[in-house]
Amino acid sequence: MTDADLAAVAPPLIFAASAVVAGLLSAVRVGARVLGWFGAAASIAAVAAAVVIGPSADGAAAFGGTVARDGASVFFAALVGIVVAGSLVVAAGAPRSARGSGSEVALVLFSASGATLAVAAADLLVLFVGIALLTVPAHALTARPHAHRGDDGAVRHVLLGATSSAVALYGMALLYAATGETAYAGLGRATHNPLYLAGIGLTLAGLVFHLVIAPANRSSMVVNVATVAALLRLVAATRSGEVAVDWEVSFAALAALAVAVAGLAAIAERRMNWLIAYATIAQLGYVAAAAAGSAVPAAAFALSVYAAQAVGLFAVRAMLRHEEPALEDLRGLARQRPLLVLALGILVLGLIGLPPTAGFLARLYAFEVAVRAQLLWLVVLGSLATVASAASYVRILLACFGSPRLDAVAPPRGRISTATALVAALALVVAGIVPGPLLEATGAVRF
Amino acid sequence: MIAADVLVIPLIVAMACALPIGGSARQLAVLAGLLTAATAGAAAWSDIGTASPQSYVWAGPLGAQLAIGVDGFSIALLMLSGVVFAVGAAASGGVRMPRAYFALWSLLQATVAGVLVARDLILFFACWEALLVPLSLLMWHWGGAGRRAAALRLLVYWMTGSALLLIGIVAFGVGARTFSIADLSAYRLAEGSQVILALLFLAAFAVRLPLFPFHVWLSRAYATAPVPLAIVLAGIVSKTAIYAIARICFPLFPRGMVDLTPYLIGLAAVGSLYGAVLATRQRDTRTFIAYASLSQLDLIALGVFVSTADGQQGALIGSLSHGLVVAMLFLLATSLARRIGSFDFGPGGLAPRAPILTSLFGFAILAAIGVPGTSGAPGELLILAATFTRSPAIGLLATLVVVVSAAYGLGLLRAVFFGPSTERGSDVSWRERAVILPLLVLVVAIGVVPRAVGDLADRRIPALTERAR
Repeated sequence: MTDADLAAVAPPLIFAASAVVAGLLSAVRVGARVLGWFGAAASIAAVAAAVVIGPSADGAAAFGGTVARDGASVFFAALVGIVVAGSLVVAAGAPRSARGSGSEVALVLFSASGATLAVAAADLLVLFVGIALLTVPAHALTARPHAHRGDDGAVRHVLLGATSSAVALYGMALLYAATGETAYAGLGRATHNPLYLAGIGLTLAGLVFHLVIAPANRSSMVVNVATVAALLRLVAATRSGEVAVDWEVSFAALAALAVAVAGLAAIAERRMNWLIAYATIAQLGYVAAAAAGSAVPAAAFALSVYAAQAVGLFAVRAMLRHEEPALEDLRGLARQRPLLVLALGILVLGLIGLPPTAGFLARLYAFEVAVRAQLLWLVVLGSLATVASAASYVRILLACFGSPRLDAVAPPRGRISTATALVAALALVVAGIVPGPLLEATGAVRF
Repeated sequence: MIAADVLVIPLIVAMACALPIGGSARQLAVLAGLLTAATAGAAAWSDIGTASPQSYVWAGPLGAQLAIGVDGFSIALLMLSGVVFAVGAAASGGVRMPRAYFALWSLLQATVAGVLVARDLILFFACWEALLVPLSLLMWHWGGAGRRAAALRLLVYWMTGSALLLIGIVAFGVGARTFSIADLSAYRLAEGSQVILALLFLAAFAVRLPLFPFHVWLSRAYATAPVPLAIVLAGIVSKTAIYAIARICFPLFPRGMVDLTPYLIGLAAVGSLYGAVLATRQRDTRTFIAYASLSQLDLIALGVFVSTADGQQGALIGSLSHGLVVAMLFLLATSLARRIGSFDFGPGGLAPRAPILTSLFGFAILAAIGVPGTSGAPGELLILAATFTRSPAIGLLATLVVVVSAAYGLGLLRAVFFGPSTERGSDVSWRERAVILPLLVLVVAIGVVPRAVGDLADRRIPALTERAR
């Protein structure tokens, strides 16, 4: 292992090492709150490491061309690190009952280690390892609360996750059969043969399936960001010749489906978790629209905006007592927790895509890219879906201003969650008014 | 520099209101309005201001720039905006949560100014859309009964229009590789594309104006918004749509607009008459003002669509007049409601108890229906004259509006103030007079010397019709 190799895997290594430490500490009964702060610090260290080390000078990949160290891997590793830090801070600030145990911190960090590996993967096998390391702990995290109650939710999640991984792996095997290579560099030379197309299709399906089944909880943010980023790299590598059109069509269809379904389904939804899930789907739809126009910077921009919104929304979500909160449970929040509602209001503006939030610019950027790629119909659809989503998400705010239920208990004070939500909302507004730095950073995202 | 000033002044005030520091938020908001009006006024009667637009990089990869600049039309509307916002702030005494209210209020003022000074389509759209946020929040939280349904309805209608506008902007800008309004107006499109894009743009502008038949949100919004917000909504926010049609649709799609104007003129004329007829049937002062406004606004839009020099000038004077008069009407309606307990027309017979209120109301109504000597007259005359030269039939229809508006105006006066005398009611207080008096002076001034603003339009508005031909 050379220095260059080590530099390429520095973020995954930092995450894995801190995960091991967190696991050991939780075994000796160190509190979950302390471990949460430790994990957040480790994530920030990973972000710092990724940014300080930076992309390799000649753009060469490490480990014999299997792990990339370029603008994209640095940016997405940093994004993953920030999201993980945000989610751990929120968890550490949650009330004791909702905080979970210390071993969850270790699982989150393992998941992050897989995420940073997946975003840098330049080889199908590394990608698979990364995705597995990313999703298995995430499914374990999702399954935990169910396991106590003995319902089948845990089993279902693990089985679904395993199925998606199996589908992706099958696709990768077909790709290997078609090209005789697993490195991305070799895949790009493929011809338009059925085996190859089937391989691409199954790999895409497996990865996207991971996104779809990711439940709306904190660990899903990391899964979403990392899977989408890994997918963007795979697309960039294989987008050549006749296959390019297939990719474009696939992404355009995905984007249209995501935006339309999320826009329509959210209208009648009253459960918060589902509203957040639909919002996520719509946001990823904009990323897919940008990817359809093969504009990686626009996709990275939309993904960053999604990350900020997701961290903020889950911080708000952590303040609600119910496991499955409905809109009614938000009533009275405006009077009890005005700062939280201020943050929520800005996040909702971002979800709808209204200025002055960065959500507006992300939407606009994706639309511009789509028009450039002759996908005007996608813009029309996305634009009209915005109206539907406005009607859906404004109800979240409406609910906050309602008078509280008689039997309602005031939400916990949750200073840390409120602060996290405010920071996310502030980031969203600042990036919407002064988008220069973020646009510059995403402009450097190249494969 | 004026373009930057009118943006920065309300933003500073918004921040000062939001931060917990001393001082009265209301006084600050009034000051922001007056400063804006003064800045724009200074620019109007000197030759500073119409210098070439300033441009800064904003979101490079998106092609968006912070390009701002003013011309005669926007300067005139900025003056109006300053006056209307100052009056509205002065009239919002005793609101709940004053700091939040006035912070949103000043943000609204900043976004309106942004719409009027933006010289880049993305910036224009950002301000156009951002305007919705403080506006709907103010209506939502400080409005009257049924405010949430009204706010939601307004939001959905306006956002549908804006969604179409965004499609148009992105399609046009990406095709032309620029979003600068100046560069785009030099870009030559095929006539068919011009018509389609003009329709997409007009969708947003027609809803916000509102042009008949896109006025469904109007009466409920006017009736449930807090009165100061209704003043702003009718007084200046509707004018941003007039401005956008004149300053964006016509220069960008000259040939497309020529194809569309016959239909638009028809809609505007019918809408104007429709609003006037409905106004005669109202029994609530706020919906009365809403339909009277619909009539006036569509008449102003008629002046823009006719697109002769007279029509443009008439539209500019008419916009200023309508903004001032509608503010007066809303203020007087509030005074009236304070005396009789509701916004209904009430039992009538107030004239002997409240002679000053009666005369002020009478004056406002006369100005609204365009009696010579008030600001309503010159704009209306110019628009009618321009319409007659374009199409005598439509001109006749528009003249009918004047007759019907006399009927609704005098009908309101008779129902509210005359008839059997009642014991209730008192006259307007000095505080109320102090807010209305400046408006009255302005209305008379424009009525007596319309050339003061008319010349401004003449001098600064480039002949859009030349380009169209």
